[in-house]
Amino acid sequence: MEKGTQGSIILNGGGDLGSQEVADLNGQVHLLPCVIKYDGPCSVSDYFKPKSTGMEVEGLRLEEAHFRGRKLEGATVSIPEGYCGFVVGKKVLGKRKAADISEENSNCWEMNAIFRDITYWNHDSLPSHDDAFLRSFHWLAVAKSMHKPVAAEDLAHASTALGKME
Amino acid sequence: MASEAALPKWASEPCIMGIDEAGRGPVLGPMVYGCLYCARSYQMTLSSLNFADSKTLKEEKREELFENLKADESIGWAVDIIDPKELSAKMLKKNKINLNEISHESAIGLVANVLNMGILLTEVYVDTVGDAEKYRTKLSGRFPAVKFVVAKKADSLYPVVSGASIVAKVTRDRALQEWVLDETAENMNRNFGSGYPGDPETKAWLKNHIHTVFGFPTLVRFSWGTCTPYIKDLAEVLWESDKMDEDSSCGKKQMKLSSFGVTKSKRKSEEIESSGKGHCKFFQARKLEQLTYF
Repeated sequence: MEKGTQGSIILNGGGDLGSQEVADLNGQVHLLPCVIKYDGPCSVSDYFKPKSTGMEVEGLRLEEAHFRGRKLEGATVSIPEGYCGFVVGKKVLGKRKAADISEENSNCWEMNAIFRDITYWNHDSLPSHDDAFLRSFHWLAVAKSMHKPVAAEDLAHASTALGKME
Repeated sequence: MASEAALPKWASEPCIMGIDEAGRGPVLGPMVYGCLYCARSYQMTLSSLNFADSKTLKEEKREELFENLKADESIGWAVDIIDPKELSAKMLKKNKINLNEISHESAIGLVANVLNMGILLTEVYVDTVGDAEKYRTKLSGRFPAVKFVVAKKADSLYPVVSGASIVAKVTRDRALQEWVLDETAENMNRNFGSGYPGDPETKAWLKNHIHTVFGFPTLVRFSWGTCTPYIKDLAEVLWESDKMDEDSSCGKKQMKLSSFGVTKSKRKSEEIESSGKGHCKFFQARKLEQLTYF
């Protein structure tokens, strides 16, 4: 087994007071089919201009955009019911010496923003429910069933079903 | 689009057409395909209109000739303006479409449109793109009833092609002059120059409109070799779609959250996306991976 490190994520609104307003990024979170080796602020809305195509496939409303000369085709989907998207950042631990704030002793995260929908983009293929990204949401339902406590009723059903098979 | 009723009287006479392009070489702006057609019986008059290869004419002269031919009821014309975004996108697809193919398709589209309008085309003259004979075979295959003449420098050999080259060139120049940039960033200007890679004004514009993350405005043809020297100054972008080809051969590895200091992974190889490797099929198919370090 791989060993995990200790850490914490505070999801109650960030900041020390825990009551600050959290930025809502609905309609602004994009998942691109590439890695951009850049980390920092960027005038995204001035350059990245998604447009609706007016087409709908499998209930997905198609959008298109261009990035680095490539045409992207995407769709905006809601985060499944009961879940929420979070943008988390490393918590700043007061005025300690920089040397102390190594990754080991500051594995403490806080929520900077939330989002309830996400636009994911494909290069060269129309968005569809066969996309790995949309299929990954299947896990949520599977996990729910797997972790749900087994009730006496379920056992009864299962044994009846087994009885029928025999 | 001309309706049947608006068809000129000469449309049912045997007609000739010329096709030429403008803006094939530039690093920015649209590529324009233009065509000009008229009755074969008008050919002599056409020769007297002083059309010449548009590149040899001054801008004002081209504009003047364009206005003249627009007013001439014995001449028909049409253009196909191919957006630079479309050029970049096609040339950067997984299955790349090269510029020759794009050019051929544009020319074929023009011929099809004119025929659909009800013009009786019998001969079409085309400036060649790539191998002339292959191009001619392709065109003849699509339109067996039309005789195609595909030649190098057709724009200086056949007045009908010279006319088409004026239509294309003037349209391209105007399109660039009136171009509205998609991008809304400040400090952008429209001093594109001619768009040719060697033009100092174009070079300066490219240099001033480079963006670390986005590269260039969509006016620029990203697939052009001219862009390459600038690309080294940009943030590197690795595509999932490129990765599939390179995966086995070279060391262009993906990055995962760990590279951004989010996690500390013991694994040596960095990956763009989780692969679900080593997990059951359910997770592999969904590219889901458990993250134990966070």
